Amino acid sequence: MKSYKQMKIDKRRVAVVGTGQTKFEARTPNKSYFELAYDAAMPAIKESGISPESIDSVVYGIYNDLFERQIMPDTYVHDYLGMYGKPGIRVTTGGATGGYAFRAGYTEVASGLSDITMVIGVEKAQDCYDWAQGKATPEVIKSIAYSADMTWEFPLGTSAASSYAILASAHMKKYGTTEEQAALVSIKNHGNAMFNPYAQSPMKITVDDVLQSRMISYPFKMLDCSLYTEGAYALILMSEEKTRELGIVDPVWVMGIGSSNDKSFTGARSVKDRMGKYGDIADLRNHYEAANQAYLMADIENPMKSLDVAELHDAFTFTEIQGYEAMGLCGKGKGGKFIEDGIPLINGDLPVSPSGGLLGAGHAVGATGVMQIGEVVNQLRHMSGKRQVQINHGMGLAHSIGGPGSSYCSVSVMGVD
Amino acid sequence: MGAPVLPTVLFPSWGLTELKNSTEKAKETIKKELKSRPLESMIDEIIAERLKPEPSVLGRGDYFEIPDKMVMFYKYSYGGQSKFFHELKENAVLYGAKCKSCGMVYFPPRTHCSECYSETSWQRVSNEGIVLSSTTSWYATSDFFDVVPYAVGYVKPLDADTGILQRIDLRGKEVIEPGTKVTARFREKRIGVVSDFWYEMMEQD
Repeated sequence: MKSYKQMKIDKRRVAVVGTGQTKFEARTPNKSYFELAYDAAMPAIKESGISPESIDSVVYGIYNDLFERQIMPDTYVHDYLGMYGKPGIRVTTGGATGGYAFRAGYTEVASGLSDITMVIGVEKAQDCYDWAQGKATPEVIKSIAYSADMTWEFPLGTSAASSYAILASAHMKKYGTTEEQAALVSIKNHGNAMFNPYAQSPMKITVDDVLQSRMISYPFKMLDCSLYTEGAYALILMSEEKTRELGIVDPVWVMGIGSSNDKSFTGARSVKDRMGKYGDIADLRNHYEAANQAYLMADIENPMKSLDVAELHDAFTFTEIQGYEAMGLCGKGKGGKFIEDGIPLINGDLPVSPSGGLLGAGHAVGATGVMQIGEVVNQLRHMSGKRQVQINHGMGLAHSIGGPGSSYCSVSVMGVD
Repeated sequence: MGAPVLPTVLFPSWGLTELKNSTEKAKETIKKELKSRPLESMIDEIIAERLKPEPSVLGRGDYFEIPDKMVMFYKYSYGGQSKFFHELKENAVLYGAKCKSCGMVYFPPRTHCSECYSETSWQRVSNEGIVLSSTTSWYATSDFFDVVPYAVGYVKPLDADTGILQRIDLRGKEVIEPGTKVTARFREKRIGVVSDFWYEMMEQD
């Protein structure tokens, strides 16, 4: 099997040359999912300076058929965008849908099958409605709960929050991570969102606000959890030859991609199995593996010395702390201290999730991972306005995760020459 | 679309106090109004009431909104895992599966080993186990709202190598710590589903 390093040499270089997005909002009843996708695609196409006709293929990141009230929603988006005649595929990998859609888009161009590929993440979550309680959220979490194994786990009353809370409880027990440390992540990301005009939940909050918000699934309180969001984000991917042909001045290159899925029956993760070197239920083992692959491909030995910015998948505060460790930004079990020391703050040594992340910007599931890659692209191009971080090395990372017990993980390292 | 303007309010329209109280409110509503009959028929009635002023239309403005639902019926087979459910229902015992080659004991059972790809054979596993990790849920879908708080966690039987997700009786506690010893309990009327059993703490403190 080829090493990732070899792949970098053999495959064509791929750049992101344009981004477009809708505002992330709780609900957008005046837009259907295909209209949201349209609203993200058009600005991305325009910013790239290409025509819709020049796009060779499209990859759609759309997580949940029950959200969209539609099986194969991508085929209707494809029609609506006038992409008929071109290939279009859909990726659905839970919360990691955006990251994996990007991986699929990268392979389209790197393989030579396409010169220009559009990756669109879109989600319309909150048409699900619980008539008994008179609100959307309980029905939204029900539609997600069907992602739990229907025979062994769904009948027990599981939710996305409980699945990740189990990992967090294990991390607290094994490493002594605290609820106060997690609260700092919530403060940081809701605060960062105040400088993101497209964000859903810009808020200035305190540790006490987080600790006293209502319990959702121990140790997660309301303000440890991201909200459900509707929105879309589009990226235009292009081969190196095409960027030269079109005279693209600020391409942001895909330097490395690594992806790994751990056992989705989380109780089977053991130090004795093939991923045991990364740990057990307390450690996001596939996140370590995905990061290692991406760093190998991008020639990164010490991410703290190579990265200027990272967007981590903070569906829950504790998950971001576990992400610091798995991405190699700090030692194992030191994620709590990493945020206490202020390193991931927007003016810290390595700003993490300047967009506001999922907590601040919102979690429009299929669009989320695409948004976070787009944020890294725009940071590296110095196009992030008031939340622009300092770019010294010209590299950034986006982390996209999902599935039961965070069984999906895809890491993308982006860079400028 | 035009570029959105920066938000001028620091907090969204919902306040923190409202967040804290709404779980309690929702629990009360569910207890009072629901559970006397199936949730689905209750919801059909709520929707019918809403639609009285104008059949089929929920709201008009710059969008047109209708009620809808998706319902599916199945005749589902547990396949190679059927024996587990048969033994659970008929005899209130727990079966795992042991790999014939590497000896790994799977719980829940599987017909083939995912480590060495050999066949497995059925093997009883202990009712006693260790909690690998758990959480206590305080927020749920309508189907489970009347039973919050409840704990779910991964429990590894003492003689198995993997753990199963299961409910763990809180017995007045708020949190079930990883490492807690538990034992399986079985419903009297079992129908052949995973929720036919649950775990309880062995030590009382």
